[in-house]
Amino acid sequence: MRTAAALVVVLTACGSSSPALAQPVTVEADVTGGYTSDDAGALATQVRAFGDMPLGLRVLAEAAWAARSETDESTDAFGAAYPYGNRVQIMEAYAERLFHPGPTLVGFRAGRYRTPFGIYTRGDYAYSGFLRAPLIRYDGYFALSNNFLEHGAELIAGIPQLYIETSLGAPADVGDSVRRSGVDSVTRVQGYYGPWIVGVSHIRTQPYMPERFARGRSVFTGVDLRWTAGGVQVSGEWLTGRPFDGTSATGWHADVMVHRPVMGPVTAVWRSEQLDYDASAPYARWARRHTAGARVRLLRNLSAQVNVLHQSGDLTDAYRNALDLALTYSIRLR
Amino acid sequence: MRAIVIALTALSALTAAISAVDGPDVRGSVRANGRPQPNTVVWLEAPHAAPASAAKIVLDQRNLSFYPHVLAVRVGTTVDFPNNDRVFHNVFSFRDGKRFDLGMYPIGTLRRVTFDTPGLSRLFCNIHPNMAAYVMAVDTPYFSVADTQGTFTIPAVPPATYTYHTWRPGGTIAAGTFSVDHDKQLEIDEP
Repeated sequence: MRTAAALVVVLTACGSSSPALAQPVTVEADVTGGYTSDDAGALATQVRAFGDMPLGLRVLAEAAWAARSETDESTDAFGAAYPYGNRVQIMEAYAERLFHPGPTLVGFRAGRYRTPFGIYTRGDYAYSGFLRAPLIRYDGYFALSNNFLEHGAELIAGIPQLYIETSLGAPADVGDSVRRSGVDSVTRVQGYYGPWIVGVSHIRTQPYMPERFARGRSVFTGVDLRWTAGGVQVSGEWLTGRPFDGTSATGWHADVMVHRPVMGPVTAVWRSEQLDYDASAPYARWARRHTAGARVRLLRNLSAQVNVLHQSGDLTDAYRNALDLALTYSIRLR
Repeated sequence: MRAIVIALTALSALTAAISAVDGPDVRGSVRANGRPQPNTVVWLEAPHAAPASAAKIVLDQRNLSFYPHVLAVRVGTTVDFPNNDRVFHNVFSFRDGKRFDLGMYPIGTLRRVTFDTPGLSRLFCNIHPNMAAYVMAVDTPYFSVADTQGTFTIPAVPPATYTYHTWRPGGTIAAGTFSVDHDKQLEIDEP
């Protein structure tokens, strides 16, 4: 109910936007259809509205629906940035204000937003060329989830080359892994120099499993890195922590995206990743996965993504090898 | 006092002379099938125009959009691409015109591109598929981009007969001739 109320407020604000503002409100939608050799098909759509409001505020609201047909629960395909729960869900719905006095940067965000830990934005996962979330960010794999959301407020302060963002709120997750209610905090420091962008994050939150099984707090620390030059983008994240008392999870993923002029509409991607979940026997799990693929911009609004992956370990039930295919149609209305 | 009067007279004469050399503003509109065509670039050929002075223009990245959507610049102009979003952007132009890839950079920072050859550059963001913009670099000081009503103004054009060109997103380059006169408007009606 709180989520719906937040969405209504944001959409009402969008609707009252004046054309005299710096930028009118924009509405865009994405529709994705996919198939994986894990014996599953998927269909997903997202609708989002964003733009400038009076008093220098900016708003964003996004709703998503996605469903996956599968013979069993054995695949983690297509969960890169959204849950596949076969119901309409509000993802983000927030307002933010940014100030840029002189060399400094100050801003706040309030509402419902993705947990600001590491590499966390929608764009980083939804249009990256990968059709699965990294192991360290998949629902139920004992680390963090791309479907973690916060109801709260976030502050950023610093200079563009070095700033801190800190969030205080309550878990408001969607998807299969929903953290227990309570107060949680996230802090991330980001530095930028030339082609390098480095972040360090720390989160203290609630476990997503029942209290009778998972006691204590969930605490993770991570380092994320991005580097770009000449059409090559390297990004990755390493994190370690405890999902709950008596356990630990450590993992990483490293992504490479290559988009050179000679490649035209094709972006080639590669991901290597690993996750170790350490718990008392027989619950310990691990997995290692390598993914190669491409994103192809077929038309202005239509893109195709293909991934081939190979994995080992016992953390996931997915097949050892898999082929994922998806088509995404995006449209923007103003 | 006499010196001041002489100086003011000279300044007035100089201003009048500059105005006469520059000529009138060319106002007009662009329509297709009777409907206004916003974001149409209109430029007049001027091969003997004076070289461009260094100019700096901004093409903003804000609210997951490029702003403006269509930008016209004179060849040699440096365009700033600031990121005013909390998310990263990665502007690139690979297809034609000026080819570049600015890589990722965070909020509050900017990167620059000098458009040193004439032509159309199609800009995209490698992270956000719906972000697109166009930069038309023209080798003339006389150009403008039509507003939401399809109207435009090209300031200070010396009286003469010019070949004009137009381009708009999704369209091709069209051309015609126009004689600049003080009270004559350039009305372009494309099929």
